[in-house]
Amino acid sequence: MSIIKLKNISYSYDEERVLDKLSLDIEKNKITYLLGNSGSGKTTILRLITGLEVPQEGNVYIENVLVSIANSLIVPPEKRKIGYIFQDLALWPHFTVYKNIAFGLQNKKESDIEKKVLDMLDFFGLKDSANKFPHQLSGGQQQMIAISRALVLKPKILLMDEPLANLDIKSKRKILKYLVLLKENFNLSIVYVTHDHREAFEIADDIVVLNDGKIQDSGSTEKIKNSDNEFVKDFLEIEDD
Amino acid sequence: MGRKTIKYPVYTIALALYLFFIVLPVLYSLWLTVTDGHFIENIKTVGQDSIILLLKSSVLAAVIAIISTFFGIILGFLIYKTSINYRKFFKVIILIPLFISPYILAVAWRDILLLFFDKIENSNSFFAIILVHSTIFIPLSILIIGSALVNVSKNLEESALMISGFKRMFFNILLPLIKPAILSSLVLVFIFSISEFSVPAFFSVRVFTTEIFTQFSAFYNHSLAMLQSSLLIIVCVLLLLSERKYIADSPFLSIGTRGKTTKLYDFKSFNKIAYLILIFSVFIMILLPLLILLYQSFKDGTDDFIEAFQLLIPTFGNSLFLALTGAILTLIFGFIAAYFSEIYRKKLLDSSLLLLFAIPSIVLGIALIKFYNRPVLNTIYSGVGIIIIGYVAKYGFIAAKMLENAIKQIPKSLDEAAKIQGIKFYKRINSITLPLVFPAIFAAFMINFLFCLGDLGTTIMVYPPGTEIMPIKVFTIMANAPESLTSSMVLIVFLFTISIILILFSIFRKIFTAYNVNY
Repeated sequence: MSIIKLKNISYSYDEERVLDKLSLDIEKNKITYLLGNSGSGKTTILRLITGLEVPQEGNVYIENVLVSIANSLIVPPEKRKIGYIFQDLALWPHFTVYKNIAFGLQNKKESDIEKKVLDMLDFFGLKDSANKFPHQLSGGQQQMIAISRALVLKPKILLMDEPLANLDIKSKRKILKYLVLLKENFNLSIVYVTHDHREAFEIADDIVVLNDGKIQDSGSTEKIKNSDNEFVKDFLEIEDD
Repeated sequence: MGRKTIKYPVYTIALALYLFFIVLPVLYSLWLTVTDGHFIENIKTVGQDSIILLLKSSVLAAVIAIISTFFGIILGFLIYKTSINYRKFFKVIILIPLFISPYILAVAWRDILLLFFDKIENSNSFFAIILVHSTIFIPLSILIIGSALVNVSKNLEESALMISGFKRMFFNILLPLIKPAILSSLVLVFIFSISEFSVPAFFSVRVFTTEIFTQFSAFYNHSLAMLQSSLLIIVCVLLLLSERKYIADSPFLSIGTRGKTTKLYDFKSFNKIAYLILIFSVFIMILLPLLILLYQSFKDGTDDFIEAFQLLIPTFGNSLFLALTGAILTLIFGFIAAYFSEIYRKKLLDSSLLLLFAIPSIVLGIALIKFYNRPVLNTIYSGVGIIIIGYVAKYGFIAAKMLENAIKQIPKSLDEAAKIQGIKFYKRINSITLPLVFPAIFAAFMINFLFCLGDLGTTIMVYPPGTEIMPIKVFTIMANAPESLTSSMVLIVFLFTISIILILFSIFRKIFTAYNVNY
């Protein structure tokens, strides 16, 4: 059953076409990887799903509800129940870890907010860091704070834009394990953007390979590994080299 | 049928107010120039003499722009790019002349020059203008060029240094990279200098701004004054528009480059020479004028100083109130223009601020008088409202530019992350944007406050009779007062300004600490 549906989406930045009549279904409660080179349109797809961008052609559906049509936003980002981990994490540098996570919890009792934030920090083993500022944490810890901030609002979908690119292998592995746990514990559908297929092969349920704004192939990890598509074969080989 | 709502109410209100109270008067005055029936006659009068005068003023402004930018590069490099001790001290102290009214330095330099010449006339009065204006505008160039220098990526310099020497890297990598800032410095100093009125008036040099002032105040030929003003406006607007691309993209007066690392050079043996250059510059630009003012003020005892103080007492409160109000309003318009220009690409308010910035103070003053001098607007015309409007018109662009650069440095994702979390527009501004640009807000406030406090060009045209304002009081008295009284007044204004700077610094420091700005 699909949770996100993109139908005939076209999108251009200035004169450059980034997505060209792209259609894509993303399954519920799965980890879906969007794989492709820089400029293939991966981040644009995430931004269209969040509602930070609006397609110039086509429709976007979330849980079968039409959320964007050509040049028009129907459901604003904050009402889509989406958590988004930006590539630069976008942690507010002037807020403590606690406030970074609590900031989105509006119109709630202070005691409720505190419980939710501390529970979340506890889940990631970062309770001691509540009063620290983001720059006082390691890259991996910052990553977990960004995930905590998104999850505390109980989203149904978690979008991640190449967030592990600057981490060492150990931290990367740790967070990838957490993602599998999160999918199960929080009943999440995760869409993950990367150019690293090895990362995708570790935990992905589904993989979509993109090139120049078009889908080259999609399906399970096994299907992609054995793809007949020339671009996919080439992409996987180059990456292995 | 659904009710229509304004998409950006704050922006729309600010724009409407700005267009009505500030842009409309200027357009109205220009319209009057063309339609008052003397247009053809005035065009004939403007003739060759005015053109020659404009050329003379342009050459003078160009010389000052070149000198200021040249020294701006040298001193900017020494302060911002070398690892010599006391860099922070020099960084602050060298900016002092920028925040002092030009006439203060004019008085000081007259006193210095009179030690060498019997009287100041013709050629040495030109030299005096170049000297005073350069002293004031070198700090502006240092600020612009220094901001650009610290923003150059360390990697670019280091990769060049791997394959060539310092000299080659400096001329082939560093200088070309800061070219936009160099051009900004040249254009801005030129515009400030050609628009400045008090220094040429003080040294009795006939330039274009003094000519406009004479036509307006002595001959009451308002339409000719406006027509001459139009020529000046055209020169300034054309220059600013042609360089807008560079000014918009260069880190002009950028404050707070958090997280960026800049390469600092340690020249070891050259450090002594660097110190000498910096100490000599501080001596010439600040200490010498201050010492001469002290000497002139007290050479015949303390009577003149006490008299000057008594004369200025009534102006302190008014000047402070006007400058504070002007700075706050300037900051509000500047922030709205910067925020909507950067985040929502709404450029009209920003462009209007730029246009008004290009209009010389004296011309702006004339436009405001022509528009507000009517019964229905008398409350503004005969009160301090017209002065505050003048401040906002003249200095709004500076605040907008500084804040624009600060907003530009905040990753867009910080606002988007809050947006996705359902944080409303005003809370996002209040909790995310404002705290992150707080250092720039502080700097913009200080700069505009000091500009308003020392403004003479616009204020002298629009101040209502009976209003006691510091620069006006000094300027009107100094024409007939003995040198020692003038020097005393100027010294008091100088000390007053420095005291206010120190008080504001300590207030903001407390706010910085309370809000943990140095995260």
